[in-house]
Amino acid sequence: MRKENNLSHLISHISNLVKMARKLLLEHINVPGINTLDVYRQHGGYRSVEKALKTMSPDAIVEEVKTSGLRGRGGAGFPTGMKWSFLAKPEGKERYLVCNADESEPGTFKDRYLMTYIPHALIEGMIVSSFALGARTSYIYVRGEMMPQIRILEKAIAEAKNAGFLGKNILGTGYDLELYVQPGGGAYICGEETALIESLEGKRGNPRIKPPFPAISGVWACPTVVNNVETIAAVVPIINDGGEEYAKIGIGRSTGTKLISASGNLNKPGVYEIDLGVPVEEFIYSDEYCGGIANGKRLKAVVAGGSSVPILPANLSLKTVNGESRLMSYESLSDGGFQSGSMLGSGGFIAFDEDQCIVRNTWNFARFYHHESCGQCSPCREGTGWMEKVLHRLEYGHGKMSDIDLLVDVARKIEGNTICPLGDAAAWPVASAIRHFRDEFEWHVTNPKEAMDRNYGLAKYADPLPKLEEVSQ
Amino acid sequence: MLSVTEQKDIEFSSSLISQFDEIVTRYPAGKQKAGLLPILHLVQAEYGWVSPEAMDKVAAYLEIKPIEVYEVATFYTMFFLRPQGKFVLEVCRTGPCCLVGAEKIMDHIEKTLGVKEGEVTADGKFSWRGVECLAACGMAPVLQIGPEYTFYENLTEQSVDQLINDLKNKI
Ligand SMILES: Cc1cc2nc3c(=O)[nH]c(=O)nc-3n(C[C@H](O)[C@H](O)[C@H](O)COP(=O)(O)O)c2cc1C
Ligand code: SF4
Ligand code: FES
Repeated sequence: MRKENNLSHLISHISNLVKMARKLLLEHINVPGINTLDVYRQHGGYRSVEKALKTMSPDAIVEEVKTSGLRGRGGAGFPTGMKWSFLAKPEGKERYLVCNADESEPGTFKDRYLMTYIPHALIEGMIVSSFALGARTSYIYVRGEMMPQIRILEKAIAEAKNAGFLGKNILGTGYDLELYVQPGGGAYICGEETALIESLEGKRGNPRIKPPFPAISGVWACPTVVNNVETIAAVVPIINDGGEEYAKIGIGRSTGTKLISASGNLNKPGVYEIDLGVPVEEFIYSDEYCGGIANGKRLKAVVAGGSSVPILPANLSLKTVNGESRLMSYESLSDGGFQSGSMLGSGGFIAFDEDQCIVRNTWNFARFYHHESCGQCSPCREGTGWMEKVLHRLEYGHGKMSDIDLLVDVARKIEGNTICPLGDAAAWPVASAIRHFRDEFEWHVTNPKEAMDRNYGLAKYADPLPKLEEVSQ
Repeated sequence: MLSVTEQKDIEFSSSLISQFDEIVTRYPAGKQKAGLLPILHLVQAEYGWVSPEAMDKVAAYLEIKPIEVYEVATFYTMFFLRPQGKFVLEVCRTGPCCLVGAEKIMDHIEKTLGVKEGEVTADGKFSWRGVECLAACGMAPVLQIGPEYTFYENLTEQSVDQLINDLKNKI
């Protein structure tokens, strides 16, 4: 009996070790002092800078990143190596790398975590990436509310500079790089890359019309690459171990590891580094990750990739309409398109228990997008306001049945008709909530008093999905 | 109703100016306007808000038009355009935080401080407001207090009471 226990303990210990070995970004997060240069270096820090600057050409680094299959971790999932290879290199013009640390997408908090605990991982990635792109000045644009993280990064930069990893003639290679932290001012839209560039220039965060893309004309009309914090940090293990090794992790075109920010009604919310491809069910219920729904409640819905992606009821979160297990990967989460799928987005995983009101949450998100719209395009500026107003009256018992289709109509008129994707990001949560939870919206209209006192509950949102044949009949 | 509060005769201290001087070295020559946001943060940390007079002085320092400062200060939510309480409690009011009780925390703060969102307590010590997702949804509910933006996580009514008491004693 006892022996068996020990054995299973040992097995779980080993399997934990195996999983731990997979951690590329957070491997040393619990090491005391890992935020300092010395401890960070004792754990292999800055090896990639030595390797890249001394033994690799910039183009070879871009190739390595291409081989890795790394996709942008900021939300859009665009292949990073390809993005880098688009950077224009005109003679006599500076090029810039700007790190997007604006992290404001509701449900997302991984970049804050990384910068707080292992700031040097970002600095190291910035040096290697700047070298690959030929940038001699780079900026980390951090949302203004993260003042403590700004101080942490500034300290880490000073340490790195002292040790010869930044500044003039880095490690005697002749490469010069200055790295600065730039604070934002509190505006979600500044996470959009062209708004971020405007903001960095000291202006309002109004997104630019593309083209020209930042790769041609970005900061001060110079070629610019904007990458998320996690994307930049992932370059470090790719250079250390090779793109091919990185590409072995994950599933299909979703290579590598991903930081997932888990929030909402979970037993263990927090930041988890997963191999892309972990089943959603395992991520929610296993003790290694979120440990199930808090307070013994049942799961009602999931927003898998930050507030901008479509919400899914529990059943569609765990399984695709084909009955396949839903995986945490770019492809699997979007399986079924907008009809029955969602997106990995920024990895902001929000779980809703059976007591949550979908109408109220949809109103909250609509309010958020209305508040954050920069106001440049009328479909977004006006449409988000209408959606907020209509959802408010539905939630507060003054809704009409026709309001539900009105919302769908407004969402459709915003989508695809705006300068930047914030319009789509505002439309999708509303459209998907109505698509999957229409009963609950209708109940708010037919039972306004009751809807003020209690929530609709779980209804059938967690029931097993009907088989495909049954649906088509 | 438009009401303008004035801040007469302000003069930036030499230590503030030397911080400005360092900031503008981060950008290429002629692009000093990029220093606007970091400089506005410093001004707000010094005075608790950014007054029209302070904005004019910033414009003069950066050699840009005053309107270029006004349009930026009014666009970004972090800049206070009128005086606030000495401590501004900024509570996240976005979806994920509301799933675990942010609205209750805001109600509790309103009741405890006895002022509505955006108003200042009679003693000038506190004001509060709801803000959007602070990128800490896993530690919800959360609030922050400037100018250092100290963070308070996993709030309960008790921990909020404790915090308000501590701040009262701090002054
Ligand atoms: C409204 C809006 C907000 C965004 N916010 C962020 C953000 O906070 N952080 C981020 O990295 N990307 C954000 N993005 C995506 C960026 O525009 C850009 O695609 C990303 O920074 C590119 O980096 P990546 O390729 O490394 O992901 C946002 C996009 C939109 C439309
Ligand atoms: S879609 Fe919205 S946020 Fe984006 S540019 Fe237009 S108004 Fe601004
Ligand atoms: S929703 Fe409150 S911190 Fe993100």
